[in-house]
Amino acid sequence: MSAVRLAGVSKDFDGVPAVRELDLDVADGELLVVLGPSGCGKSTVLRLMAGLEEATAGRILIGDRDVTKLSPGRRNVSMVFQSYALFPHLTAAENIGFGLVVREVRRAEVRERVAQAATVAGCAHLLERRPAQLSGGERQRIALARALVREPDVFLLDEPLSNLDAELRAQTRAELKLLHARVGATMLYVTHDQIEALTLGQRIAVLRDGELQQLGTPEQIWREPANRFVARFVGSPAMNLLASGAAVGLEAPAGAEVGIRSEHLALGEEGVEATVTLVEPIGSEALVHLRAAGTELVARVPAEAGHGVGDTVRLSSSREHAHLFDGETGERLPWT
Amino acid sequence: MVRGTFWRSLGAAAVIAVVGLPIVFLIAGSLRQPGLPPPVTPELIPDPVVFGNYERAADLVGLGRAALNSFIVAALAAPLSVLVASWAGFALVLIRARARTAILAASLLALMIPLTALLVPRFALYRSLGLVNTFVPLVAPALVATSPIYVLVFYVAFRRLPPELYDACRLEAASPFQIWRRVAMPLVRPVAVAIGLLAFVLSWGNFLDPLVYLHDRDLFTLPLALRSLAQLDPTNYPLLLAGAVIATAPIVAVFLVAQRYFLHEHRGAGWLGR
Repeated sequence: MSAVRLAGVSKDFDGVPAVRELDLDVADGELLVVLGPSGCGKSTVLRLMAGLEEATAGRILIGDRDVTKLSPGRRNVSMVFQSYALFPHLTAAENIGFGLVVREVRRAEVRERVAQAATVAGCAHLLERRPAQLSGGERQRIALARALVREPDVFLLDEPLSNLDAELRAQTRAELKLLHARVGATMLYVTHDQIEALTLGQRIAVLRDGELQQLGTPEQIWREPANRFVARFVGSPAMNLLASGAAVGLEAPAGAEVGIRSEHLALGEEGVEATVTLVEPIGSEALVHLRAAGTELVARVPAEAGHGVGDTVRLSSSREHAHLFDGETGERLPWT
Repeated sequence: MVRGTFWRSLGAAAVIAVVGLPIVFLIAGSLRQPGLPPPVTPELIPDPVVFGNYERAADLVGLGRAALNSFIVAALAAPLSVLVASWAGFALVLIRARARTAILAASLLALMIPLTALLVPRFALYRSLGLVNTFVPLVAPALVATSPIYVLVFYVAFRRLPPELYDACRLEAASPFQIWRRVAMPLVRPVAVAIGLLAFVLSWGNFLDPLVYLHDRDLFTLPLALRSLAQLDPTNYPLLLAGAVIATAPIVAVFLVAQRYFLHEHRGAGWLGR
């Protein structure tokens, strides 16, 4: 297990920047999630750490080793790919033991360590099967066991849950968290799914166009988004952004935008008059789309409130739930 | 459904007629009484059926020895071609894009050069090395994969494998040779078998190179022995056709053994980790 440090790492593809001067410290044993929309460079960050791409500038350190120029095989990292990248002609056991076999580890030891890793990843009963005979979730476990078996310094996980159906994804997400707690390894987890990021990450690094937007705990990312992008990207539905506080009855400084999450909008007897334009029930709650003072908003309210399209309601919020962003730069501003 | 089956059957029948009929006449002709002129109308079963042509053809020009020679050459050249072509094709996948483009262009250029244009320079080269009248000039092209087309076919096959498989190998510190042996080759097995078969057939049927390089009757390969047969007794068609059957049969047998490897997906290799 080792800490990981990226210092001023940049990567260009034929002159097009994919990662720009990224500084990132991952603590020993931490599970850090790199979150961002597709094309933001998050997978490139992972591939740079793995050595599958060569950094255009900057340094990458694992523990106190500078691995910037090392080949992937000498960095002692392992990776779980989005497609799992299992070898279709090998059995699960051969897949898991592949790295040990090419390193010429003794056969008996390979067998023992494969069995151990498979037990930890929960796939010990699948060892004789080939990938084609396994379900998506089972393949995922094999890929995890293959990453575990070498006891690497760092685990890199590239959207490992994106090929699973919703139920399995939630279940595997929880198992991954338990696995991290049990193994205590340094893990870098890339995803575009904010729920995964918030539930799994000890810290989250939000990336956009190859640039780090914010690095913080899920709590910080959620409560104090560093800018408009983070505020809108994390949270579903996306945070309401208003050109002024008028629509929710708040007085914001001139030139500042007001951001309010849907669950912090109150529909009641007091406040600004608003018209319901759409109601989306989501189980126990409903997303109510509103128009107030010429602005579109979404509020999340209990389903039993029973709002209908065309209803007139009164909308309010409070200052402690409202975020302020600079109208031009989008950076977070303090309330004065 | 029924319509589709009908047209497909018709197509198959046409292919069988074009490919199969000459083979039928080849075998039928080889069973005719020697010395008789060719039949005026096609003849499926000759009267009388004579098997002696095979024995005579084999004795007359040493077809057995020639078959052994052909087999030695093809059995060396075909696996060697597969090995070298697959290495070259795999190297093309691994190297940087710019070098790859240059090499691919050079390969295509090499394909444009007619082999006959190189016959004299190659002969001069082998003679100066003292290798004429040995099997070396017949096997040596396999050391450069025999044909750029084999390399290109392997390159395309290796490139079709998901790139994450190679990434996974690199993370496990597998060397290029290990990746080739443990992952890439097993996953393109049908391609390898097909190319091996092609190389085998090409070597087996090669007439020009043995004609140029081999003088010693003991070293003659089957196509040369067949020519000797034609020269010894130019009008004795049954004898000639019997020799042709002897020359064709082994290659058909090799195909029958090999076809199951490339006509059927093997061990889930069709599923490529996606």
